[in-house]
Amino acid sequence: MHLTSTVMATSLITIFLLLTFPVLTSFSPRPLPPDWALTQVKTAVKWAFFISILPLCLFLNEGAEAIITSWTWMNTHTFDVSISLKFDIYSIIFTPVALYVTWSILEFASWYMHADPNMNRFFKYLLIFLIAMIILVTANNMFQLFIGWEGVGIMSFLLIGWWYGRADANTAALQAVIYNRVGDIGLIFAMAWIATSLNSWEMQQMFTLSKDFDLTYPLIGLIIAATGKSAQFGLHPWLPSAMEGPTPVSALLHSSTMVVTGIFLLIRMSPMLENNHTALTICLCLGALTTLFTATCALTQNDIKKIVAFSTSSQLGLMMVTIGLNQPQLAFLHICTHAFFKAMLFLCSGSIIHSLNDEQDIRKMGGMHHLTPFTSSCLTIGSLALTGTPFLAGFFSKDAIIEALNTSYLNAWALFLPLLATSFTAVYSLRVIFFVSMGHPRFNPLSPINENNPTVINPIKRLAWGSIIAGLLITSNITPLKTPVMSMPLLLKTAALAVTIIGLLTALELASLTNKQYKPNPKLSPHHFSNMLGFFPMVVHRLAPKLNLVLGQTIASQTVDQTWLEKVGPKATATLNLPLITTTNNIQQGMIKTYLSLFFFTFSLALLLLLY
Amino acid sequence: MRTSEYVKQQQPVNMAGVGFRRWAQALSKGKGSGISALLSGCRAASGMSKDSLPGPYPKTPEERAAAAKKYNMRVEDYEPYPDNGEGFGDYPKLPERSQQERDPWYQWDHPDLRRNWGEPMHWDFDMYIRNRVDTSPSPVPWSTMCKQLFGFIGFMLFMFYVGEKFPAYQPVAPKQYPFNDLYLEKGGDPEKQAEEVKHYEI
Repeated sequence: MHLTSTVMATSLITIFLLLTFPVLTSFSPRPLPPDWALTQVKTAVKWAFFISILPLCLFLNEGAEAIITSWTWMNTHTFDVSISLKFDIYSIIFTPVALYVTWSILEFASWYMHADPNMNRFFKYLLIFLIAMIILVTANNMFQLFIGWEGVGIMSFLLIGWWYGRADANTAALQAVIYNRVGDIGLIFAMAWIATSLNSWEMQQMFTLSKDFDLTYPLIGLIIAATGKSAQFGLHPWLPSAMEGPTPVSALLHSSTMVVTGIFLLIRMSPMLENNHTALTICLCLGALTTLFTATCALTQNDIKKIVAFSTSSQLGLMMVTIGLNQPQLAFLHICTHAFFKAMLFLCSGSIIHSLNDEQDIRKMGGMHHLTPFTSSCLTIGSLALTGTPFLAGFFSKDAIIEALNTSYLNAWALFLPLLATSFTAVYSLRVIFFVSMGHPRFNPLSPINENNPTVINPIKRLAWGSIIAGLLITSNITPLKTPVMSMPLLLKTAALAVTIIGLLTALELASLTNKQYKPNPKLSPHHFSNMLGFFPMVVHRLAPKLNLVLGQTIASQTVDQTWLEKVGPKATATLNLPLITTTNNIQQGMIKTYLSLFFFTFSLALLLLLY
Repeated sequence: MRTSEYVKQQQPVNMAGVGFRRWAQALSKGKGSGISALLSGCRAASGMSKDSLPGPYPKTPEERAAAAKKYNMRVEDYEPYPDNGEGFGDYPKLPERSQQERDPWYQWDHPDLRRNWGEPMHWDFDMYIRNRVDTSPSPVPWSTMCKQLFGFIGFMLFMFYVGEKFPAYQPVAPKQYPFNDLYLEKGGDPEKQAEEVKHYEI
């Protein structure tokens, strides 16, 4: 057998075994050692990362891709479902990225959660999540993808509600599950359509057979699934609420890995998506709306984690825009680079929060650059990468996306919104740095603040390296599948940079107003719109559940009985019969006139019938 | 003495045996014979009696007072649902306020539900728990919120429609080939003279 494919298959199956082994050991009846989390889980993920470099190198060197089909799950005459792992460009690059980020986050979590009595269980949940994520990413058929899809959704629920004694955390976990479920309706619809029309859930067969079909309906189902999972506008409120979970959860699930699964699904389905203009336009407009709306909401938030969460949502909207431009590889590039700097932003926030004794409000931070210089420097690096500073990681993906946006034939409004959102990105990033790192501390110096713990510094350092060089590494080694437009006017080429600088200057100007005691009459309604998240959660979370629950309660306890017993059943017979009975009774009251008129009426009727 | 009691508590107790003993005691103390002894002996002491269940709509002031006492409310506060055939009976009509609005710092008996034992439950209590509908006052009035949100969505949809009508693109022109615009390559007749085609002048 060929050496490359053997090595590839072996290393990939080894990764799976490495990751599942700690989960299986945790099922034994003996209690786990207290350092199980650090020694077994983190080491397993670290080794899995190093082993996953091997397929990556084989792919970069030889272009080796593999599809491993093992163990048929169920098969009928015409429909097979088997465990089928696909290692193509997307899964080969994403797996090392996800494992690298997870390794750093697990190391950080061993510091962040060290006071938690159930830390082993926390790590077990994170590991199960990682396994589900890799199952999703390497899936070659829709069934396995669905298994991974549901797996990441359930683990997200368990991890957001980690501190289940807190009602807000429970509500947030419920929100995540319910919004994801609404998205799952779309996915299951698409799967059903594909199963009935294309007769297979294997991606190869789906893509070859789907050329002759009108794919609008299943594609809209897939877009709804991506809307739910990747928090696009309409199904987005769960993502900021998910910040109720511990910071490692936010860093892993809700920035780098889980929320990109919706976008990843659309990237996987891009052969089906590329010829359908309607679906592409929907992606474009939805992504543009999401990116601007969430960037607007991020402008006035005061919780550092919420700002980063809205930033994630805005970047997810940008990825959706890229898919709408028919550039799945660019979207994938943005997924990979975004994972690094977003996870680092979350880890820096977590480090700052923990140092300030669990203070999350940026209005009560300040001057952290003197107290935690390394963390605040990495916060700055991450923010620069996020805004697309030239030659950091985010630049390669973000600038390419904006260039593709500027040179495409597309909806003019969908062009304008992401540009505006890019400038907002600069504004809220500066806001975070201004309130957190710059200035003087606005908190009491109660607890000693230091960052001399390698478990905190090393993960952030690793992710900082990733934020700086990942973009360069990936773009220099992967040949693009679509030719990028190289010739464009200077204004379009520098549009992203110009818009970012405008945003930065505006934010600096606004920040300098804070110490001038400038007292304008504030126009509060835009501030309220932004601060209350566009009123979307307020309106939707009060209206929809209330209508549904009240309707359900009224139907179940009153309407059913009232209908069947009063309006349709026994009482109805009485109400229907009563007029008939009274009429009949009134006629037969013994009044001669009535009898006489009736006699003549029937007599004339009989005469008429006889004659005609 | 005390040490031996402490030691006795430390010994593991077979809860199954304890339960069986209690059941046998209850059985022996029950009235009646056969099955009824089994049933009456095992009846739990807690649970609602028939008097504490909701009843018909109270018409007289004495019925109202009795109903208020049953629901553990003051007579002044007690207000039943209107008697229009919807089947509420004498169940009290409590203000439509969710549990989220109650004082988070008070020492409730059930802190997660923000409710005390014996307090009358709202008809839609399961809807008003903290995980579901919240009626807390909002800084912005409800009508303003709805208008702004749906106005924003409507504006965006309208602008997307306009954007589809007037798309943005880089200026393009048909490609200009030199000489006779690829007349022969495009399948032109070699005998005939090609006509001059000029898309634009450079």
